Amino acid sequence: MKDLFASLYNKVLSFFHQAESKDKESAKDVACNRLKLVLMQDRTNLSPAIMERMRNELIDLLSKYLELDRELLDLNLAQEDDQMALMLSIPVIRAKDEKEIEEILKAEDEEKNKESQEEDDDENNDTDSQEDNFEEEDDDDDFSSDDDGEENVDIEEDNDENIEEIEDNETK
Amino acid sequence: MTGRVIVITSGKGGVGKTTTSANIGTALAKAGNKVVLIDTDIGLRNLDLLLGLENRIVYTIVDVVEERCKLRQALVKDKKNPNLSLLAAAQTRDKTSVNADQLKDICEQLKKKYDFILVDCPAGIEQGFQNAVAGASEAIVVTTPEMSAVRDADRIIGLLEAREEIESYKLLLNRVRPNLIESNDMMSVEDVVEILSAELIGVIPEDTGIITSTNKGEPIVNDDESLAGQAYRNVARRIMGEDVPFLDLRQPKGFVEKIKNLFTKLKGKV
Repeated sequence: MKDLFASLYNKVLSFFHQAESKDKESAKDVACNRLKLVLMQDRTNLSPAIMERMRNELIDLLSKYLELDRELLDLNLAQEDDQMALMLSIPVIRAKDEKEIEEILKAEDEEKNKESQEEDDDENNDTDSQEDNFEEEDDDDDFSSDDDGEENVDIEEDNDENIEEIEDNETK
Repeated sequence: MTGRVIVITSGKGGVGKTTTSANIGTALAKAGNKVVLIDTDIGLRNLDLLLGLENRIVYTIVDVVEERCKLRQALVKDKKNPNLSLLAAAQTRDKTSVNADQLKDICEQLKKKYDFILVDCPAGIEQGFQNAVAGASEAIVVTTPEMSAVRDADRIIGLLEAREEIESYKLLLNRVRPNLIESNDMMSVEDVVEILSAELIGVIPEDTGIITSTNKGEPIVNDDESLAGQAYRNVARRIMGEDVPFLDLRQPKGFVEKIKNLFTKLKGKV
């Protein structure tokens, strides 16, 4: 008898709590989140394609000095009070050692010198060849770093912990 | 005397710019200020209807600009309140009939004789908006707690911030439905203020009385019983510099709500 009452009571309760028990994201939260995202885009005028390009260029730049996890890289614009901030979160696999960096920079300098000599070339061709070279360089780094990584234990750091955050402030 | 020129704008249509203009104007006039309302929605004029002045309009803003009449001839006095005047928009012309400089000039002239010049802006961000904003130094951005209205308000705020002559802008949140906010189905006042990061000057509840007041050509601020009317009167007082607390818009709860609450409390104890 007591159980019967208890179950009845619970049923009545659950009836009145139907709305609350649906613990899904409320319409209000969905609206707020969607709005925040869309306003961010409205305010910056940066298209997804441009953002993607910026992301890739940043990776290329930083890859010269650090071995990065490209897949997990996260680039976002966020609103903080009155300022807009560029939030960049990059998992660093390891920092490259000086020798590697020197090699890359040297190769880059040589490339630049070569380009300045080949001034007859079309501008478009120039930029194309530059981009191609960049990609090749990156691939080489990845291979060479694997070998060196085992020797340089000092520099190798934990994958998960080492997340670099770079914040660039832009005016609104 | 130097009056204050305040533009009432929103970006999106249908959020209550004209209703807001009519009510704030009437409330300011009732409080003893000399007020002119300018309808800049040329081709789609409505402010005259909301004030019940549609039969009294002889000259419009276009007549003033094209020098068919003097500015003071085109000002239509309100039926009840001699402190309130309307400069109507022309219905048969379009928004290119008046330019920004001409509107600025009209505002400058009116500033000398009136305390407040409220400019009712057309929807959109094109020429009509640029004209309406031209003579103003303050702005009230009207929005509702809906995504499209908030997005458009954000755009308008961006445009207002880019204009040096606009010294300040405030947010007026219209058509707020407290019961939907309470059930988390609608963005709250705080949400909208946070997203737009703008200062709030008023929160107006959704009120069916607005429909009847529009039908009668009688602004709802004249109805002492109405909550929306009270909210608009408070906005007018804030414009005049008073520090007025925001109304508690929650309606008294019905029987079912009370029972629900009782069960919520019981569940907490069990």
